[in-house]
Amino acid sequence: MTLLLDVEIFRLMLIMAAPLVIAALGELLMERSGVLNVGIEGMMAVAAVVAFLTALRTGAVAAGLGAGMAAGALLASVLVYYAATLRASQLTVGLSLFVLGTGLASLVYRAVIGVTMSTPTVETLRAVPLPGLAGLPVLGPIVFSQNLLVYLAVLLVPAVSLLLFRTTVGLRLRASGENPRALDTVGVSVGALRWGAAVGGGLLIGLAGAYLPLVVTGTYSDGIVGGRGWIALMIVIFGRWSPGWALVGAVLFAYTEALQFKLALVTKAVPPQFLQMLPYLVAIVVLVRVYRGAEPPRALGVPYERESRV
Amino acid sequence: MKYLAAIGIAALAGLLVVLVMGGDPGSALGTFLWSSLGSLNGLSQTLNKTCPLLLGGLAVGLALRAGFFNIGVDGQIYAGAIVATGLALGAGGLPAVLLLPAVLVLGGLGGAALAVVPGVLRARWSVNEIFVTVMLNFVAAFLAEYLTTGPWNDPMAGEAISRLVPEGARLPMISERSGAHGGIVLALAFVLVVWLLLERTTWGFEVRALGSNPRASRVAGVRQARLTVTVFAMSGALAGLAGAVEVSALHQRLILGLTPGYGIMALLIAVLGKSRPPGVLVAALGMATLLVGSDSLQRSVNLPASAALVFQALIVLSVLFAEARRPAARGTA
Repeated sequence: MTLLLDVEIFRLMLIMAAPLVIAALGELLMERSGVLNVGIEGMMAVAAVVAFLTALRTGAVAAGLGAGMAAGALLASVLVYYAATLRASQLTVGLSLFVLGTGLASLVYRAVIGVTMSTPTVETLRAVPLPGLAGLPVLGPIVFSQNLLVYLAVLLVPAVSLLLFRTTVGLRLRASGENPRALDTVGVSVGALRWGAAVGGGLLIGLAGAYLPLVVTGTYSDGIVGGRGWIALMIVIFGRWSPGWALVGAVLFAYTEALQFKLALVTKAVPPQFLQMLPYLVAIVVLVRVYRGAEPPRALGVPYERESRV
Repeated sequence: MKYLAAIGIAALAGLLVVLVMGGDPGSALGTFLWSSLGSLNGLSQTLNKTCPLLLGGLAVGLALRAGFFNIGVDGQIYAGAIVATGLALGAGGLPAVLLLPAVLVLGGLGGAALAVVPGVLRARWSVNEIFVTVMLNFVAAFLAEYLTTGPWNDPMAGEAISRLVPEGARLPMISERSGAHGGIVLALAFVLVVWLLLERTTWGFEVRALGSNPRASRVAGVRQARLTVTVFAMSGALAGLAGAVEVSALHQRLILGLTPGYGIMALLIAVLGKSRPPGVLVAALGMATLLVGSDSLQRSVNLPASAALVFQALIVLSVLFAEARRPAARGTA
């Protein structure tokens, strides 16, 4: 029991929750505008490798993060070009982009690094204890001694919430996902909104991908994303397309992940592979609850055709 | 026409990659064609690769005809391979006439068992099958890692592979000299079986109706929950059989990395082949050629194995692009 409530687990939980919530917010923006992005896993993989290589060559973590975001936005643009401009099937294109991203990430790494004896590493983003707050008991080490991106992830939740529910752009973005015809009728371009949401979402998804090598591992390896893109996609549904609940979902999944790391350290009785299965099995169990009464944006995944009949 | 254009785009991408890696494009093309189609050995390699890609493509395509996305073929391949290896290692004393069919059938059942999970969740609680199949891929791969490094590990090998399965569990070769194994015969037979099932049986009609108009099919009295579970089971069985064949015919053991992404390639193959068995056959042959050709370049110009995946995805995206440009074809997935 003391193990389950260990301070180190909660610290790790927030570190692992950050990429999940950032990616989920990116996906949420896209889905609220009516664009379904099932290629998120592949996009994160490409962002991870681009970010890692940029950081390795420039020595600057910030440059790596920026490059990863750009890569995410670029791939999301490809998706929205198919989805909004060509009006192709978003599921098919998204899945193809997932495959493309998975292959491309590995290809780019091999092309640049080649096969080496030692794995190249970059320095990971350091923790920045917040003055004053970091000294608090329990909360200090867990919440206020994290890296900057964890703070950013937490701040992004109200920011996206405000954008969606308190601004004109947000209202239009939601309308584009619920009733694009109404939006078109009042003279707002559905295509432009979906493009904007996709590029913005892609930036966030890219940031989440870049986070993995630049904050968590310091190295790149194939499979670094390890299903986190899919889990982010799931978190959006779990959170009923609301930013606040997406944070809750991300924290929940990150807790099982952190617990599994910790368990692997303290127990030798269970083979590590069974512990590694844990987050994925938990995800399946949670899914059963997730789908009860989930109501996606009504125009999600539906290309908008101005000339079609209602 | 659009397929030629798509292959052209992939070829351009290939040229670019070869140049970036510092190779000579002319000789690379020669190596590519010689190693995949030009020589008897190459052709055998291509047929061997076609087997899992074809069975996987049929698995994805079958589910897609009913409107389901089976992204879990990689996991189901592992499940089939695990069950097949377990049986072969445990019951090695059986004569080949019994052991080999049992290995293949149980391998199929292993894949089916894993695929039934998303099927039941979908039928009972309308849980999206994409997530469940993806999550089970990870679970199955970890199980394979545990078995190949733990209880079934070959202590002589020093890597994540199991002990060899006994002779009686091995699928015969078509040609001992060139290395082509009998898996392709099985896979081709299943092209016919799946086609017959889909086009010539009531079950197949119900599957297609479920995919094209679920509401009408429910009103017509189709028992959708049961149909959903059987579609997933069939789809998983095809993938599981592919896993069993990889063990029985190719590696003769369970290895980690048994499937280098055959499942996600199968997705592309099903999309290209429009989920119809004959189309899937053509797409699988094409993708296998691409895979073997790229593999050979891995040695001569250092082309990474993942390049094949990129070329394959580029071909599919080009075809989707061409289709979306023609308004008549809109909405066909």
